[in-house]
Amino acid sequence: MSRITVENVTRRYGGAKAVDGVSLDIADGEFLVLLGPSGCGKSTLLRAIAGLLAPSEGRILVDGRDVTDIPARGRDLAMVFQSYALYPHLTVARNIGFPLRARRVRRADVRRRVAEVAEILDLSALLDRRPRELSGGQRQRVALGRALVRDPGAFLMDEPLSNLDAQLRTATRTEITELHRRLGRTFIYVTHDQVEAMTMATRVAVLNRGRLEQIGSPTEVYDQPASAFVAAFLGSPPMNLLDAELVTRDGQLHAVAPQVDVPLGIRVAAAGAPRDGGDPAAGRAIQLGIRPEHLLVTSATGGTGSTDSTDSGSAHETGPAVLRGTIRTVENLGSEEIAHCVIGATEVRVRARRPAGLTAGDAIALSARPEHTHLFDRDSGRRLVWQSDQPVSVPPARVPVTT
Amino acid sequence: MFVEVAPPTQLAPAPPPSAGAGTPGPSHARRSAGSLARMLGRGVIPYLYLAPALGMLVVWIYRPLVQTANYSFYSWNLSPDQPAIPQGWHNYHRLFTLPEAGNSVLRTVAMIALLLPFTIIIPIIVGLLTAEVRGRARTVYQALIFAPFLVAPVASAAVWQWMLTPGSGIVNRATGLKTNWLHERLPALLSITGIAGWQMLGFAVLVVSAGLASINGDYSEAASVDGASRWQSTRWLTLPLLSPTLVFLVLTTVLLAGTWTFPLIDTLTQGGPVSATTNIYYLLWQYGFKSFDAGFAAAAGVIFFFGFTLVAAFLVWLSDRLTFHDN
Repeated sequence: MSRITVENVTRRYGGAKAVDGVSLDIADGEFLVLLGPSGCGKSTLLRAIAGLLAPSEGRILVDGRDVTDIPARGRDLAMVFQSYALYPHLTVARNIGFPLRARRVRRADVRRRVAEVAEILDLSALLDRRPRELSGGQRQRVALGRALVRDPGAFLMDEPLSNLDAQLRTATRTEITELHRRLGRTFIYVTHDQVEAMTMATRVAVLNRGRLEQIGSPTEVYDQPASAFVAAFLGSPPMNLLDAELVTRDGQLHAVAPQVDVPLGIRVAAAGAPRDGGDPAAGRAIQLGIRPEHLLVTSATGGTGSTDSTDSGSAHETGPAVLRGTIRTVENLGSEEIAHCVIGATEVRVRARRPAGLTAGDAIALSARPEHTHLFDRDSGRRLVWQSDQPVSVPPARVPVTT
Repeated sequence: MFVEVAPPTQLAPAPPPSAGAGTPGPSHARRSAGSLARMLGRGVIPYLYLAPALGMLVVWIYRPLVQTANYSFYSWNLSPDQPAIPQGWHNYHRLFTLPEAGNSVLRTVAMIALLLPFTIIIPIIVGLLTAEVRGRARTVYQALIFAPFLVAPVASAAVWQWMLTPGSGIVNRATGLKTNWLHERLPALLSITGIAGWQMLGFAVLVVSAGLASINGDYSEAASVDGASRWQSTRWLTLPLLSPTLVFLVLTTVLLAGTWTFPLIDTLTQGGPVSATTNIYYLLWQYGFKSFDAGFAAAAGVIFFFGFTLVAAFLVWLSDRLTFHDN
C-alpha cells in the first residue's frame, strides 16, 4: 500500500539538470508509466524514488512519510532493473529469496515464500539454476520474483522489457499488467516504448529534458497532447506537425500554410465586429497537428492526369481538400500503408487502409475533420485551446494555454 | 481447382537489383587457381605475425627450461673449460635427502603465509574503503599507495636497513624495542616479508580496486533496494564476485613470493642468520652461483618448476570455478 509523492524534485549533474522540478502524485494501486526518449530523466527520477540517487532539490514521500533522506533499503520499495541485476553467483532460489534473507526471515519461511513466488512465475523447475543458465525471459521473471517475494509497497521497473525479443515483450507486457491487476500495488514503470505506455499504464507521465510535459491517462495523452513534443512522441508514425498561421475567413478560423488551408471548426464573431478591426488570432504563429490516421485521402492522381478517385468510404463526406501535395514514397505495413507526402515545405504522413491505391509520385489531396486538428504555439510548443466564452477580443498573447 | 504455391527454391532467379546489371563474373577456372594460393597465404600469415613472439618464448623461456632439465643430470661447476659429468638421478637423490632443501621449502611456505595479509586482506579493506573515494582524490590516494611498488627493491632495502638498525634505527626508537631486526632469526624473517609486503601492497590494492570496479554497480544497488545492509551486501555479493581477483592475487603471491623477496634477502641478510631467511629461491641461487654446483641447482629448479606448476594449475582451476559470467 503506497502512495508516492514527488515534490518538485530536481537532480543536477554538474550544471545540467537531469530532472528539473518534477512533481507527481501517484495514488495507491496506480500503474504510472514514466515515458520519454532516452536522456529525458525518467530513469534518474525512478532512481531518486528508489533511493539510489539523492535529489538535489525537492522531496519524495511514501504514504506521506518523507523518505528523501532514507536509504533505499528503508523505503519498502522493490525494483526491477533494466539489466535485471540478478546475482550471478546465486541460484534462482537464492536470488528470489535474497530480500527475505537480508531481512533475516527464518529459513523455512524463505523457502516457502520462494516456492510460492516461483509457482506464480512458473519458475519452480529452475530454482537450482544460476542466472547464466537462463534465457532472457526466464531472467526477467526471476527479477520480477525477487521484487514480488516480500510484498513491497510499490514496484519500480526500469525498462524491464527492453532486453526481450518482440514476441516475448508482448507476452510479458500482458503478464505484468495481469500482475498489477492481481496485486493491486502501486507500479512505477519507466519506458521509452509508447506501446508499453499505452497498453499498461493507468496514467502516463511524459518527460522531456527532465521536465514533465504532460500527465494523464493514455487516452488523454494520445488524444489531447498537451504539447507538440508529446504529439510528436506518441503515435507511430507520430502526429504530423505543420507550421501554419491562423486566418479568419467567413467567421471561421483556418490554419493556413503553403498548400494547406484547414478549417478548424471554430466560429469567431461576424466580420468587421472587432473594435480594433482585426480578428483575435489572425497571424498567430502556430503548429498544426493532425494524426496520420485522421488524414483522409480525397483524391490521388497520377502525374499523367488519369483520375482514379480512391474512395475509402468516408473520403467523400469530408468536403473540400485542405492539404495538397505529392506522394514521395509509400510504405506497406500489411494491414495499412503509410504514404509520405510532401506538402509545402513539410513531410506529412498519411495512414490508410490497404489497398488505398497510393503511388509514389502522384499528386494527393487530403482532408481532416476539425475535431481531429490540434494547435500548438510555435514558440512554447504548448497546446492551444479555444475558449468559446471569450469570443472576439482576446489578444493573441492571451489565448489560453493548457498545462 | 487449387494449385499449390510452390515454396521458393534456390534455382528461382532473384530479380536483378536494378536494370542493366553487369555481366556474369570471371571464369571459374581462373578463380580456383588463384584461390589455392590465397588459401595457403591465409594459413601462413597468422603464424608469421606470431613468429617473433614465439621465437622470443622459445629462446628465452623454453630453451633454458630444457637446458636446466638437462643439466640436472650432470655435475658441473659452470666453468666453460670444465666438462659436465653425467650423474644420472644423483642430484635428485641428494635434493630429497638433504635437510637444507626441506627446511627452505618450509621457510618459503612461511614467507608466503606472511605475505598473504599484505596481498589479500589489507588490499580488500583498503579497496572497499577507497571505493567510495571519487575523482582526483581517488587518483592521489592510489598513487600514494602504489608508490612503494615503483621503488627499486635494492633501494628500498637500503632505506629499510637504515631504519631497522638496532639502537639508532627509527623503528626501534619509535617502538622502544631492542630487537636486532636483521640479525635475529624470527625478526629477520618478519622484516624480509614485511618489507616485501609493503612493496607489493600498492600493486595488490590496485588489482583489488580494478576487481571491485569491474563488478556491475547494479548488484549493490539491487541489494540495497532489496534491503541488504552494507555489510550484507559486501559479504554476500562483493566478496564472492571479487573471488576470482583474490585467487589471482593468491596465485601471484605464491608464485612470485620468491622473486619479490630475493633482492631483499640478498641485500639485507644473505639468507641468514643461520639460514633463517633462506627460501628455496635463495637456496637455488646459493647452490648454483655460490657453490657452483650447477647440476644440483638445476635439479632443484626442475623439482620446484613442477611443484609450482601443480599449485598454479590448482589455483587457475579454482579461479575458473569462481568466475561468474553474466551478461
